[in-house]
Amino acid sequence: MTAAYAVKNLKQRVEKIENVLAAVAAGDKDARVNSQIEDDFSGVEFAIDLLIDDLTDELDQGEKTRKELEEKLATIQQQQQTIRQQQDDLLELSSPVTKVWDNVLILPVIGTLDSRRAQIMMENLLDKIVQTGCTYAILDITGVPTIDTQVANHLLKTVTAARLLGGECIISGISPAIAQTIVHLGIDLSAINTKATMQEAMKTAFLSNNHKSSELTHDEEESLREIK
Amino acid sequence: MNEQAANRKIPIIKIRDFLIVSIQVDMHDRLAIELQAQILEELSQTGAKGVLIDISVLEMVDSFIGRMLSGMASMASIMDAAVVIVGMQPAVAITLVELGLEMPGVDTALNMENGIAMLEKRLESQNEFYNPNGA
Amino acid sequence: MFESADVVENKQIEGFSIESELDIVKARQLVRNIAKQLHMGIVDQTRITTAVSELFRNMFQYAGGGEVLVESGVHSGRNAVIVTCIDHGPGIADLDSAMKDGYTSGKGMGFGLPGAKRLVDEFQIDSRVNEGTTVRVIKWI
Repeated sequence: MTAAYAVKNLKQRVEKIENVLAAVAAGDKDARVNSQIEDDFSGVEFAIDLLIDDLTDELDQGEKTRKELEEKLATIQQQQQTIRQQQDDLLELSSPVTKVWDNVLILPVIGTLDSRRAQIMMENLLDKIVQTGCTYAILDITGVPTIDTQVANHLLKTVTAARLLGGECIISGISPAIAQTIVHLGIDLSAINTKATMQEAMKTAFLSNNHKSSELTHDEEESLREIK
Repeated sequence: MNEQAANRKIPIIKIRDFLIVSIQVDMHDRLAIELQAQILEELSQTGAKGVLIDISVLEMVDSFIGRMLSGMASMASIMDAAVVIVGMQPAVAITLVELGLEMPGVDTALNMENGIAMLEKRLESQNEFYNPNGA
Repeated sequence: MFESADVVENKQIEGFSIESELDIVKARQLVRNIAKQLHMGIVDQTRITTAVSELFRNMFQYAGGGEVLVESGVHSGRNAVIVTCIDHGPGIADLDSAMKDGYTSGKGMGFGLPGAKRLVDEFQIDSRVNEGTTVRVIKWI
């Protein structure tokens, strides 16, 4: 063995490297060899420290990216919720409930009626019934060509809930296609108060208002004519 | 909730031929049963023909309270009295329908005014000599 | 029974026990308030409050009481309120029947489980005879 290749304390220094590597593997990101000796072996010690530096940098970067992704996910979920809320608001605006005459509300529905819209309509209508104290609400779906079973269930729910509140919800303008959907669902059509046209529904509501008379008052006739 | 709150009774007021009960608190089961008994007792003592139960403040009616209300309607009808629930909140109505809780024999009205009109109409048709303005 | 670990990172809001009827009233008001604070719509607030009222009552009547855990977290990609009811009561022997409408136990009343299930977005139940029952309901905000 020549002096040029003599390495001081080789055994301890190798052990130290083993310990440092074990510490890093266990999660200690700060463990380094930090050899103060300058000889032929210190090149290895230094290289190992650099390696650990790179490794921990990679880990930190990965951690940082993970956190950023989590934050982005949270933001997106928040935005989705806001969008849902705005869509609901729009749906509510697109189905206005109007008070007609003394005790009758009308909600004309036009276009596609999906589950979400039906849900909004139901809540809207029931709220209006309670707010105005109107006993009759007419839900006119002449402008709705078809509905799926979920929407049919919502309509049934609306009628049942209106009754529970102490009001009555009449559905007018049911197309043959929709009638089939409702019947196929096993819903008893007689459980829902239905009329072919909105005018007939209003007439029914007016007549029910006049407990004693089976005729419409002059003003009620006027209203019906105006709607036509 | 303390002992005092637990024993608080819900007031029952008699106006003309009817009892009026306004439920202002979130009832625990025992209180609901006690209320039922109280109302029946009052009906028996006063001979009132109708009970108006105002639930406009109640934010929730679960299966127990629902059964209590329909139970009361059945018992009251045995005593020849009608029960009308008034002021149900829309969210409560929707939830009851979804729960699948039917309340048979329970009449409902949008408000006290309609409720009283409903009871008076029932009395009028039962008794042609009935005068809502007091004989 | 089943662990919180099946959902990624739920955040605990409240944990309490139900030992009396008055606890049931307090508990459902607590759930209502939490749902309200998290901006849940009013009808959904009523739904979750009614659903847990059924669960709390079950727990009290059949098991003498139990523990309740209220958490917020993400389920099916949406923010949600999660209420877990844990009791160490007799358990439900015939779970399938109990989950059907119209089922009544010996006391002449159903468990109210099918109704509660309809009111929430996700419903999990695990029950073992003589060990207890755990019910978890999830309602999206």
